[in-house]
Amino acid sequence: MEFGWNDDQAAYRQRVKDVLAENLPEDWEERAIHGPGSTPVTEFSFEFCKILAEKNLLIPHWPVEYGGSATQPWNHFILGEESWQVGEPRGPQYMNVNWIGPVLMRYATEEQIARYLPPITQGSVIWCQGFSEPSAGSDLASLRTKAEKVEGGYVVNGAKVWTSFATHADQCFLLARCGPGKDGILILLVDMKSPGIQVKQIPALIGEGDIHEFFLTDVFVPEENRLGAEGQAWEIINYALQNERIGIARYAFARRVLDNVISELKADGRFDDPVIQDRAGRVLAKVEAARMMVYRVVDERAKDQPVSSYGSLARYILVQADHAVADFVLEFMPSGMLGGDPLHQAHHQRALYSGIGAGAAEIQLNLAARRHLGLPSEHSRGL
Amino acid sequence: MDFEPNENQTAILDGLEQLISSQHVEAPKEGVLVAYSASLDAELAASGFLDIAREEDFTLLDAALVVERLARLPVSAEVAFSALVGPLFPAGSVQRPFALVSGNPLAPARFLTEARTLLVDQGDELLVIDVDPSRVQHIESLFAYPYGKLASLDGLPLRKMGAELAAAVRRRWRLALAVEGAGLMQSAIDTVVDHVTNRFQFNRPLGSFQAIQHRLAMAAGKQQSARWLALRAAWADSEADCALAAGYVQDAIPTLVYDLHQFCGAMGLTLEFPLHFWTYRLKAMLGELGGSSAQARAAAVATWPDAA
Repeated sequence: MEFGWNDDQAAYRQRVKDVLAENLPEDWEERAIHGPGSTPVTEFSFEFCKILAEKNLLIPHWPVEYGGSATQPWNHFILGEESWQVGEPRGPQYMNVNWIGPVLMRYATEEQIARYLPPITQGSVIWCQGFSEPSAGSDLASLRTKAEKVEGGYVVNGAKVWTSFATHADQCFLLARCGPGKDGILILLVDMKSPGIQVKQIPALIGEGDIHEFFLTDVFVPEENRLGAEGQAWEIINYALQNERIGIARYAFARRVLDNVISELKADGRFDDPVIQDRAGRVLAKVEAARMMVYRVVDERAKDQPVSSYGSLARYILVQADHAVADFVLEFMPSGMLGGDPLHQAHHQRALYSGIGAGAAEIQLNLAARRHLGLPSEHSRGL
Repeated sequence: MDFEPNENQTAILDGLEQLISSQHVEAPKEGVLVAYSASLDAELAASGFLDIAREEDFTLLDAALVVERLARLPVSAEVAFSALVGPLFPAGSVQRPFALVSGNPLAPARFLTEARTLLVDQGDELLVIDVDPSRVQHIESLFAYPYGKLASLDGLPLRKMGAELAAAVRRRWRLALAVEGAGLMQSAIDTVVDHVTNRFQFNRPLGSFQAIQHRLAMAAGKQQSARWLALRAAWADSEADCALAAGYVQDAIPTLVYDLHQFCGAMGLTLEFPLHFWTYRLKAMLGELGGSSAQARAAAVATWPDAA
């Protein structure tokens, strides 16, 4: 047990920092405040991910046979940590390399891999995830979008909502129902330019690009676009979400904003206030706690251990940290949210979403209670 | 970055389990507020577990793992100060067990009834007082540690060791509090999880109600956070990390202890139920070193010394 970085990891982090410093444009800060799904960041992601691909930094953790270099999982996480801290110049494509690609490697056919992985490895494709529906948010099992079997494929009808990146997406990782219950769900890899798909952005507190609804009306999806078997979707989704829950190093951006605000408070002569020091110290502890919890999960993965319930605990602590920083900023440096520092608003908007995206944080508490603590199911009865 | 015990650490913890097993450590059957084990304390000292951080090839983190494991026992011994603060002093220059207080050397201190040395952190000065056990007044309290105080310092050997050592002792005291606190939280949660799993109300286990599940999951999240912050602090041994870890533990104590007792109802208020052996050690820690605010401020100042 030890908590330092070895020489290789330190060198890798420095390399990532250098690449970011050399390749982010002068106006990057202005673009980055709009978030990963925005038009400016999405457009830049094509340019930036191509550079990462050339430098073998886009998918370094992927197996060699899929174009990666099978580097240790810690290196991929260091890349994500540094990227999120500066505003995620990979834009929506972070999702491709974090979990879309790995899920395809595990469950896709050879033909699907040949078709879908190259654009990801070249940094030239945007995916969105068609999970939530008007009546199926955290309760994914109640989804209603229907996939009717027809000759050669499926005809899909339904609606998806809260979808990130949908405006710019080329492909959708779509869940649809082909029968009753959890076993009646399938996954379709849907071309977002298919006839019958209508995307609408929903104006939101969290800015541009992160919340959409889209409608599927008689959308034909070829059978070869189904991922896995009918009825295997639940297993695949669970695998995907395990990769997604702590996939974003939210504490890294939160810590950057906290450091930034403390600098401003010091410059204003306010950091001598013991109340501010007290609150800053408590918030800092939450951020560092989140860092350690996430590192614990990454360590588990780096050792190729079975996925545990630890990710659920880590996710909850991570959400608390993100909100603690956002609230600290609001209380002691509210001017940032009133045009004084766009970075503060950018963090606030990401924090707002942290406990909701990829499943509500309270669902993680359910999972932690059952799987980490071993508490009995709500259906338990006795006597 | 490695969250698994290494070979040395595994060997230490295996040896510690054998010692614990040989001591037949159990919660006292009779209802008592304090469960201090002098025999466990003596055996730990004799077997070298409290001097691990002084040994070549072993580290402060190794010692912290010992402290954390022993904190999970229902009985206490003076472990954390000896294992984590003691190594600041040359071997043989001070005698264990230790008691520590801030400011006033006549203030009540945990373990003072057992201590041979009282360390007094006065900010810019560290007082090292050789304790004569016959001079210590026992204090009855709800806290599950033995407490005592001195009526006066008259005639007691006292050394002044300066501000630098005072700061080092304060740093390690924070570390001791953080590591021990994380261990205490773990056993307290385990005890309550067992209770709510086996206690049926409304024809269901209490632990099947979501209101209880969520709060216990939050407690587990805080405990794990406290653990990794504390162990990182032991690895780093820095002002910022030690203050941060201690502050996190103290900040977590009120809500965590409230919830754990709440879920055990009146049973958790009785002395026959062991919960207080952990929760009332945690509560004893709440006000040490100036409380959570002092630790939070220390962490902030240490982290951002030149942030302007």
